[in-house]
Amino acid sequence: MMLRITLFGALRDADARGFIELDVPDHSTVAQVREAMQHYVREHALTISPNLIQRSAFASEEEILHNHRQIPGNGVLAILPPVSGG
Amino acid sequence: MADIYTAVVDIAHAPLDVSAALDFVSDPRFGGIATFIGRVRQHNLGRTVTGVSYDLFEPLAVRTFQAIGERARQEVGGPMKLYIAHAKGHLQIGDLAVVIAAATPHRDEAFRACRLAIEAVKHEAPIWKQEHYVDGDSAWSEGCSLCEEHRDAELAAAKQGGNKHGHGH
Repeated sequence: MMLRITLFGALRDADARGFIELDVPDHSTVAQVREAMQHYVREHALTISPNLIQRSAFASEEEILHNHRQIPGNGVLAILPPVSGG
Repeated sequence: MADIYTAVVDIAHAPLDVSAALDFVSDPRFGGIATFIGRVRQHNLGRTVTGVSYDLFEPLAVRTFQAIGERARQEVGGPMKLYIAHAKGHLQIGDLAVVIAAATPHRDEAFRACRLAIEAVKHEAPIWKQEHYVDGDSAWSEGCSLCEEHRDAELAAAKQGGNKHGHGH
């Protein structure tokens, strides 16, 4: 399935559109998406450190999705680098 | 809940409003109000800052604020009103970045609820700060990982180092 991943903070540098699209197997876990994302930045966004992907969380609009969770059926995710509000 | 107000405010449309926060939490039941007001400061880590930009994942940020409010209610264990608002967009020096107000019958619970809320907003809400410097450079602030494996590791490192948060904010 085609997964659309919205970018925030420092990860916006990965694509000026504010999102990237990854083709991943149906029912992939967040851990698998993380690996795919690391591969993507190595190929297409060299300014992004793979370590930043490692430290980032994935989320839907409702909740943080940890590594063991399956990706949402609607194919939409957000990747959240370390937060710095306030 | 009617006694917890949360908002993300686009600074292009309106500034954060401290009076609105105080009005919201004011209640004849409550004799104590604690507030935290976060403003953009001119220096950070030895660099002169000219402004900051806040990026937010707004739907999850508002849900997180609500969850923080519920946690504060548990902490207080009694009646409380809480207001949490955070700015988004580009802010100048002195602009308000975050406003929190907590009202309870007595001061102790108000201080505790306010402190809990601001610490949780800083460390848990999906918000990112980019600082702009006088030399034209910009940088995203180092932050707290929301990824469970890294969060656990950072907390453990912080405990070992005697630093409550493990980094400077």
